[in-house]
Amino acid sequence: MRAGRRVPALLALASVALIVTDTLTPLGPLRAFGSATYGGLEDATSAGLRWARGERNVAELEAENARLRAELLAARRVASSPAPADGYQAVPAHVVGFGRDGTVTVDAGSEVGVGQDMTVFDGDGLVGRVLRSGPGTATVQLATAAGASIGARLEGSREVGLVTGVPERGLLRLSLLNPAAEVKPGDRVVTLGSRDMRPYVPDVPIGTVVEAEPASDALTRTALVRPFARFTALGLVTVVLGPLPDDATPAVDAAGGKDPAKRDKEKGSSDKKKSDKGGADKGGAEKPEAA
Amino acid sequence: MRAVVLSVLVVLLAPVLQVSVVNGLALPGGGPDIVLIGVIALAPMLRPGAGASLGFAAGLAADVAPPADHTIGRLALVMCLAGWVCARIPEDAGAGRRAAVAAAVALGATLAAGVLAALLDGTPWGTALAPGVLAWTTGLAVLVTAALSLPPRRRSFGRGRGPRHRPRDPYPPGRRLA
Repeated sequence: MRAGRRVPALLALASVALIVTDTLTPLGPLRAFGSATYGGLEDATSAGLRWARGERNVAELEAENARLRAELLAARRVASSPAPADGYQAVPAHVVGFGRDGTVTVDAGSEVGVGQDMTVFDGDGLVGRVLRSGPGTATVQLATAAGASIGARLEGSREVGLVTGVPERGLLRLSLLNPAAEVKPGDRVVTLGSRDMRPYVPDVPIGTVVEAEPASDALTRTALVRPFARFTALGLVTVVLGPLPDDATPAVDAAGGKDPAKRDKEKGSSDKKKSDKGGADKGGAEKPEAA
Repeated sequence: MRAVVLSVLVVLLAPVLQVSVVNGLALPGGGPDIVLIGVIALAPMLRPGAGASLGFAAGLAADVAPPADHTIGRLALVMCLAGWVCARIPEDAGAGRRAAVAAAVALGATLAAGVLAALLDGTPWGTALAPGVLAWTTGLAVLVTAALSLPPRRRSFGRGRGPRHRPRDPYPPGRRLA
């Protein structure tokens, strides 16, 4: 009996040790291993599912879509926003895994230049930001996650606030810094934008106000926001890598010039540094091909 | 040997199936926890130590498989204990008892995982103890365990007892005495 209990007791102790270690210092290598192993499997599973549904030969269209969306986003920006760039470098990605922690996996990773704290959006609006990236996949924190908080502003009045997740209801809560600000149902909420465009680029649509909440204190004004993006049915998303390099013309920018799944296979020649260097002279994804 | 192969399959594929297929279906209430169901279904074929090891490995896999973003070790702890309890079911237990143990373990493990999620990672209690996930997981665990332990099905996982394995016998059943 005693011998039969030794293994489970040891494993339970090991689990507790893991929990304590991960709470004190994040276990990066273990997560990187999980990302490399299971990320690849998720990518393959999802690619198989898409293939079975008949979504073939659309990689070029997806890349073009990502580039056009990034251009549209850049064109939406009003003159007052601080970002210096004329456009964004972007890659298309598929959502290949849905988590229970308000996170999703996308099939673009550090091999195509995706790194921590990059903005992710889709055709409807803001999706979230990249939490961490593995070689071929990245983990994205959704805007509705319990831990997410996004600088935001009302599109009309330019009032500044903070958007946090209300995970139980799939809604967001906007807390305006100005307690006297006018907010009414139907107002559109967009991102405020961060320094160096990380984690959020400015003026990505987030959602519309559905309900102005009664003031709980005199310091902030809060409202419930329905997000534009449908977080339970995410498909194709766009990851913003950064601003376009100055000398690049929009025609060559398209960092998403190729299917990310294909690019993942060209290992060695397409790690993040090279992709960044490529961005300096020619623009993102053209480099791995030339190398 | 068969149990080892199945264990490796559960550890490798169940987390992928969970995040790529099940969670993407947007089932009402959240959908079942495939990894836990795999452990509960497979552990009764193993010895207690092996059952706990299977649970630990599967839980750890679910902890690190992207897009998981919670404390590593949370699911490993819960599923290690779940695997151990399920592996302690006596070999001669009937289908009813097996299903009852599976239901209790599925319920207890899901609740324990939810409590740990709320305590360790600050998940709101409403999401951590979602009744939908609880119902899906318990229901499927009972169904799978019952299906595996019913007499006709159990043969395929048994040690070669029963009439189906006779074809290896050189004599067809009807002519044994001839």
